[in-house]
Amino acid sequence: MSYFLQLVVSGVVVGSIYALSALGFVLIYKSSRVLNIAHGQIIATGAFITYALTVFAGIPIVLAFLLSMVITFCLAMSVERIFLRRLIGEPIISVIMVTIGLMSIIDGLIYLTPFGSENFSFPEFLPKTPIAFWGVSMSWTQMVGVVITFTMIGGFTWFFKKSTVGISMRAVSDDQFASMSVGISVPKVFGLAWATAGLTAAAAGGIIGNITGLNFDVLHSFGIIVFPVVIVGGLDSILGAIVAGIIMGLIQQFASGYLDGKWGLFGTADVLPYIILLIILLFKPHGLFGIHEIERV
Amino acid sequence: MSENRWMATGNFFTSYKAEQRIFMTHIDRLVFICFLVALFAWPLFFKLGNKYMLVIDSILIAIVAVYGLNLLTGFAGLISIGHAAFVGVGAYTLASFATVLGTNHVLITHWWPLMILVSGVVGAVIGGIVGLPALRLKHLYLVIATLSFQMIFQWTINFMTFFNQGQTISIGRVFWFTGKVARKQHYLFWYYVILVIVVVLGLAVRNLLRSKHGRCLVAVRDNDRAADAMGMNPGITKVYAFALAGFFAGVAGALHAYLWRGVGFESFTLHHSISYLAMAIVGGLGTLVGSFFGPVAILMLELQVEHFAEFVGHYFTAIGDVATAFRPLSFGLVIVLFLMFEPRGIANWWRITRSYFKLWPFRY
Repeated sequence: MSYFLQLVVSGVVVGSIYALSALGFVLIYKSSRVLNIAHGQIIATGAFITYALTVFAGIPIVLAFLLSMVITFCLAMSVERIFLRRLIGEPIISVIMVTIGLMSIIDGLIYLTPFGSENFSFPEFLPKTPIAFWGVSMSWTQMVGVVITFTMIGGFTWFFKKSTVGISMRAVSDDQFASMSVGISVPKVFGLAWATAGLTAAAAGGIIGNITGLNFDVLHSFGIIVFPVVIVGGLDSILGAIVAGIIMGLIQQFASGYLDGKWGLFGTADVLPYIILLIILLFKPHGLFGIHEIERV
Repeated sequence: MSENRWMATGNFFTSYKAEQRIFMTHIDRLVFICFLVALFAWPLFFKLGNKYMLVIDSILIAIVAVYGLNLLTGFAGLISIGHAAFVGVGAYTLASFATVLGTNHVLITHWWPLMILVSGVVGAVIGGIVGLPALRLKHLYLVIATLSFQMIFQWTINFMTFFNQGQTISIGRVFWFTGKVARKQHYLFWYYVILVIVVVLGLAVRNLLRSKHGRCLVAVRDNDRAADAMGMNPGITKVYAFALAGFFAGVAGALHAYLWRGVGFESFTLHHSISYLAMAIVGGLGTLVGSFFGPVAILMLELQVEHFAEFVGHYFTAIGDVATAFRPLSFGLVIVLFLMFEPRGIANWWRITRSYFKLWPFRY
């Protein structure tokens, strides 16, 4: 039983990080209908900036965490400004291909730094003794990570529901021409969407880095697992991203806890999300919470 | 078309059939034939080292793969970031035959044309299965379907003992009418084989695109509702596009396996999928000539990047592996720059040059 509970707890921890990673992806999709294939690379960039600020520059980690969010905010905004602004109005297929190119570029840039090939781990700044209850243990880093995740998700939900900027972002996602006619600057909204996505990505990267250590391959796989999460949740739903993130975390933990080692299987946690993705795409393509606006082709 | 079929200027068409001709003028046909003869004849006069023959053979294989990707992404408008996985399906079809029957089984060494065909068919079937979500979805979602196929493929190869967990599975040397193809002739032999396949498949694609089965791809890309109204089934057409792409990729995969005499996991990763996409984009999406220019340009670029990385590596020893960094960097830059400044690719430059010479001595 405690084994099961332990799996549930670590599943929820991993899942909430997935949710935070997926949040940025959903933000971009919601406002500009662009699938940002390079999202995992932005997460990795955020994580490495946090590490560089903490260890190389010697800034306290909390400050470095916030500062890296600001830096990634600006970076993502400039990416949108340089590469994607001039593609507004082009077919969406070429915008997606540009993000594929961006993914490759950021990959290359990261491989140029030592972060591309070596492993790093953040200095410990929280108590080392894990929190234990009912035979289940959870480290302080994980706890803090989950708290930050849910605060940010709550904040963004509020932002979309209530704030003027959030509402204008939703308006743009619904109908670009109509929102232009009521005075919303569509390019500005796109830039803002990318910037906030960069911000959440940096937060997710910082948390992942603290929990699992910094390894580019791990961060890479976090970036790609965003796709099953958003598809299961529904591409344009923040609530869906949260629920599906946690479901994915649980599925992965259960798979590695119960399936591995049986019937000659191992590493199932790495492949199950994608199999689920293909099945969901076949049978319930709008996901759990997505809007049913997908046209039958 | 009017009587004079030597010059393009001043001509007009009187029937749709005339407009659909592959070669508009006799000069076109002559140039094409001369080019083909040159391609077949040059190895008789120049002897290149194995290193360069390998590059040339790889370019030709990439052309076969890019035929498929171009049909899928260029003509049918469906992005695929799992094309290397489809190529891998072809290669691993051959590899599983080698594992089950033995490396030097007669089926692999003597009946290799059949094996190449089988790999293509398996690729087509898998491609069709991956494309099945197309029955219900628009193209955006299919990007993710192909990505997840890439992931599932990598997992399957890496974790299954049947596939040697991604380690190299070797393929035996093939036989020709003159006996076993020796090591010295290996690259030259495969140069001719792949060249024949490239030409045959190229003509097949050209003919496909002027028949109803190819034009339906373009129709569905441009407006699926209108295509539906014209009596095509957009969903089935998209699945069919995936199957076509899978076929070409499968053939390319089998050729890759025979050329390298082995199948390893590292040739079919996500990075390779992206470089196939880069080839299609740089060459020119939605043009047949683009499928030739793209692989040539990208693989030449890759060679240059490797030289450059070696050069830089001498001076900055601090950076670990410069080549692994520069390769994705340059491919990504090429993709982004072409999409931003020349979305029609090198094929557009080719079109401009060609029309200049065709219309000569007039400007337009």
